[in-house]
Parts: sequence; structure tokens; C-alpha cells
Amino acid sequence: MRRNRLWALTMCGVAAFSLVACSGGTGAGTAGDGGNKVIKLGGLAPLTGNYAEYGKGFQIGWDMAIEEINGAGGVNGYTFEIEVKDTQGDAVVSSNMATNFAEDEDVMAILGDFTSGACKANAEIVDRYGIVQLSPSASAPDYASMSKYCFSIMGRQDSEAPYLARYILDKYLGAKKIAVIRVDSDWGLSCYDNFIQEADALGLDVTVEKYASGEKDFSSLITKMRSIDPDVLVVMDQGDSVAAIFNQADAAGWDIQHVALGPGTSEQLINQLTDPDNLIVTSPFFFDENDEVLASWAKTFEERAGFAPTIHPAEAYDTVYLIANAVERIGDGEITREAIQQQLDQSENTGITGELNFTEDGDIIRNYMICGVQNGEWVVLEGFDYVNE
Amino acid sequence: MEYFLNQLVNGLCQGAIYALMAIGYSVIVGVVGMVTFTYGEIMMIGAFSAYYIFQALGNNLPLAILAAFAGAFLIGVIVYKLCYEKFFNAPRHISLLCTIGISMLIKNLAQIVFGPETKPVLDVIENRTFTVMLGGIRLDIKLLQIVVIVLVIVLAGTLTLFFNKTKWGIALRAVSQNKDAAYLMGINVKRTALIGNCIGSGLGGIAGILLSIYYYSVSATMGGAYSMKAFAASVLGGLVDIRFSALGGLCIGIIENLGIAVSAATFRDVFAFGFLILVLLIRPQGFVSKKGVRV
Repeated sequence: MRRNRLWALTMCGVAAFSLVACSGGTGAGTAGDGGNKVIKLGGLAPLTGNYAEYGKGFQIGWDMAIEEINGAGGVNGYTFEIEVKDTQGDAVVSSNMATNFAEDEDVMAILGDFTSGACKANAEIVDRYGIVQLSPSASAPDYASMSKYCFSIMGRQDSEAPYLARYILDKYLGAKKIAVIRVDSDWGLSCYDNFIQEADALGLDVTVEKYASGEKDFSSLITKMRSIDPDVLVVMDQGDSVAAIFNQADAAGWDIQHVALGPGTSEQLINQLTDPDNLIVTSPFFFDENDEVLASWAKTFEERAGFAPTIHPAEAYDTVYLIANAVERIGDGEITREAIQQQLDQSENTGITGELNFTEDGDIIRNYMICGVQNGEWVVLEGFDYVNE
Repeated sequence: MEYFLNQLVNGLCQGAIYALMAIGYSVIVGVVGMVTFTYGEIMMIGAFSAYYIFQALGNNLPLAILAAFAGAFLIGVIVYKLCYEKFFNAPRHISLLCTIGISMLIKNLAQIVFGPETKPVLDVIENRTFTVMLGGIRLDIKLLQIVVIVLVIVLAGTLTLFFNKTKWGIALRAVSQNKDAAYLMGINVKRTALIGNCIGSGLGGIAGILLSIYYYSVSATMGGAYSMKAFAASVLGGLVDIRFSALGGLCIGIIENLGIAVSAATFRDVFAFGFLILVLLIRPQGFVSKKGVRV
């Protein structure tokens, strides 16, 4: 009797599994049969680890855009869905996930990943499988040119890092002796290489130290940097290390101006800092409270995320619309990975983060402003016009 | 000279935290008799227990230390029940694999329950720096560093008293030295091993809170790197001797910081583990002078 019951339960389970599996076959992927027409996207984001704030922001930005597009009836009869995989901020994990998406014929384009290193590691994969990888945040100058399928809308380090040297350190702060602490990664190297060229041209006296990603103790580096008595302490990183370095510098009783390249106007960074008002960053974008669309978007995002947005989730939001615009331009043609790449390559768009016109390489050139913290709130210290003053 | 002395202070403080981690680790290995891979996650649980006390009741350090000890102690019970209790007579790799699995489970559960993002632990100890002049050499010592070093010394002293002066402590030492002999002397070996595992875990929890205060943050993935340092320090101390394990932790902290002072921060682990290898090549038993000196 007991055996019969077990057998019955097992068969019910198998039947239920079969039903789910069968229904999945018609509901997912791109179905051009006139039934449920869905375009599936693959999302790569660091949902855990050092860059978790940004990964979570990506996920919510993508979801917001997809809900809006689907709520408005979709594009050319297609609705969108996205499957997000956690890459942990690790290039190896990211490549495995990218391969999974690339091998899934239902996935029409990949959005993400967060770090330039991960995106560059995936470049060969997306090139081989012929699928777009559109990153909201990769800023390494040599990423997008690695394949015609690689795109990014972050702007490039060969614009941002020189801006830091010329307009923040030299013009705004009038600093001459600079201490740079940077993460030892592709991104960190790219930042520094682009920064030092401009700094050398300006005659700045720069001392640099690097650390391995994931490092927690910076007391030795801080003692080392303090011994050269610089005017400004610059940190080049995007994750938790930015706050850790500045906090440990404060704890050492070191009274010095803090400047960061990488984190943008991160709310979490403010929460993690012991003295946030001493921080200045570069940013290509700022949530202007007087702009109704941006303010409303930021409010919705904050309600869902529990923290205020940086440019990163806004760019993630824009990446979905870029794909949607490409699908719209394909019109009645067949929606293929190649067709999306071709339309994206030729596209000129405007998103909530500004104009998104791709260069020949597949990335965009952005302008920058100087942002700082006053009374625990991000403010614009100098706008885009500062370069002309 | 001034530069190296300040780096030495940094190393002493970091080494003190490593020492506390190593003491807890050695207690576990000594009493249970098996290596554990859950120690990093135990430290993380201790740090989060303290973090939520800070959130609920303000920056009450004594209460947070108690919470860290209690939180890690409870995880110690779970780890013991799942990884050790049933496998005392099984091949050692069974428990070892169990601890690896439980470590992954705790870390992933923590990311779900506590969230994946790093949480700030700010202003627990006043940000004040004392300047000491030593024959014309200026030495900057943070209040935070003093608190950490004093706390570690007090805890190590308390533990030494506990092991030498209390019935439970003597039972733990007996189990650590020879389980069969302890059993024949009427000691409940399994229960004593459980208590030892939990005390070691509790010390790991306190090391976790010290790490989170010292580095101003706590996260679900914080334990991994530190557990390797605890293990390395413990190996230097012969795995089971708390005094030499503490010395091992202190040495690693100092070597790391002085190494960075003359090279780059990216070489931190090269110095730490290079030192470990060097010591083991010369003295395979670690710092311990003779076999059998335990807990």
C-alpha cells in the first residue's frame, strides 16, 4: 500500500514536471509563430560580492524598463523578458554565464556585465556565437572594439580619467602632489594609464600604489602615502574598497581631500563613509530633482531598491530601450541576433542618461561634471560647462 | 625609521586580530581533533550579530561582543552537530568535506538573509589618534588600534585562566591531549568537544566583530580570506597550541605590513604565506617546541 502511494506520488511529480517543461517550450524565447511573441534577454550582473549594489541596480533598472515596455503593449507585437544571472563580479563566472546565454537560442541579446574586465573576457564568446553584449557600465577604451557585437554606453576611461586630472585635480582643486591608490585590475590599469598621461602633461607629481581586488586592510598603504605628504588622495575603484580606503585614512587622523574615480554618485558610498562631505567624484550624469521625469524615475527606483540610484541602473534601464528600439527598427523582418546587432550598430538614441550615439567601435563618448557631497547629499559642484570656463 | 615604526604598529594591530582568530581556530582543532573550513563564516555570523545589536541599541560595544560570541557559539553547535558528532569514528575527510559544504551553505544563506551588499559599521569607537614621540620619532597610534589590542590581550588572558583554573578548562585540555585517556578519566568527551568547538567559534565571532569595527564594514562574504589567515597562523602554532598560534597570528600581521612597506600591497599574501612556508620548511612542527603541548 505504502509502495503504491509512493509510486503514485512519483508519477504525479513526473506528470507535473512534464507539463511545466512543455509549457516552457512555447512561452519562452522568441516565438515567431504569432502566438506568445517574447524576446528573451540575458542579463549579467554582480548580484553578490563587492559590486552587489550595482548588480542589484542593474536588475531593477532592467525590470523597470521591461515592465514599462510590456505595459505599453510591447514593440511590434513582441514583449520582453530577461533572465538575470549573478556573475559575482568575477570574469570567469561571467564568461561561463555568457556562454550559457549564447548557447541558449532563445536569448536574443546579452545585457551587462558590470566590470570592463568581465565584459572583455566575454568579448570572444559573444563574437563566436554572434550575439550582442551591451554593457551599461564597461568603460575600458579597448572593450567595444574587441568585437562588432560588443557595445557599451558608459563612456570611456580615455575621457573620464583625463577629465579627473585636468579639471578636478589641476583646475578645481589646484593640487600639485597626488597620491593615487588603485585596484589592480584591467579597469584600474586602464584608468591609471589614461590618467597619468594627462597628469604628466599637466606636470602633476603623482605617486601610485595598487592593491588586489577584495583587499580589506589599507593601513599600510595609507601610512606609505601619508609619508609623501600629498595634496589629494585619489582612489580608483568602484566597489566597497573606496569607502574602506577613505575611512581608514580618516581613522589614521589624515586630513586630506578625497577624490574617487569609478563609484559615481553612489548612495551606498555615502552611507559607508565616516566623512562623506570630504569626497569629490567625476560623473557623466546627475539626478536633477527639478527634472520631473528623472525625479519620478529615481523615486520609483528607490522604492524598489531601497537605495538611491547612481548612473549605473539608469544606464541599465537605457540598454533595454536600446534593444527595444532596435527591434522596432527591424519592423516586420525576422528578429535575429544579427538583425539586432545591425540595428544597434546604426542607432542614434536618447535615453534618460542623455544622448546614446554609438561610435564606430560601439561605445559612446560622454561629458563629465564634478560632483561632491554636502551634508550627506550628492550635489553638482561644477556642471558640464566647466570645461569651457 | 618613523615610517617603519608606524607600519609596525599597523602590523601589531592586524596581527592581534589574526592572533584572536588563530586562538579560536586552535581551540576548535585541538578539542575536536579536526580541521574546519567553517571558521570564516563563523566570524561573519559573529560580525552580523554585533551589527544588528549596533542597529537596534546603538554602538554598545560590550553588548555587541556578547552578541557576537553568542551568535557564533550557536553556529558552533550547529556545525558540531552536522559535521563532527556523527563522524568521530569515520575517516577524517568526511568531516572535512562536511565543513566545506556547511561553509558554502552558511555563506549563501547569509547573502539571502542579510543581503549581498556591504553594510557600514561606523563610529563604534571614537576616531582619535594619539601621537607618541620616541626620541624624536613620531608614532601615530589610533584609539581603535589600542582598543583592539587591549581586547585581544584581555580575551587571551581570560581564555588562559579558563583553561588552567576551571574544571571545564581542564576537561577541555584533557580531551585535546588524549581523547581516550580523558574518556577513561570519566570526562564526557563528546559534550566537552561540543563545548570546545563552541568556545572556539565564539572567539571567532569576537574576531569577526573586531574585523568589522577595524574595517568599518560587514558583509556576508567577509570570512573567506580571513579564515585562511586563521588557518595559517594556527599551523604556525602547531595547529593546537593557542599561545604559539597567537604568536603565529601576530607574526603574520607584522610580516604582511612590513612587507607592504618595502614593496606593494598586492604582495600581502605572498609575504604571509611565504613566511608560513619558510617556517614550515625549517620547523615542520611550527613554533611549538615539543610535541603534545596543547590548548
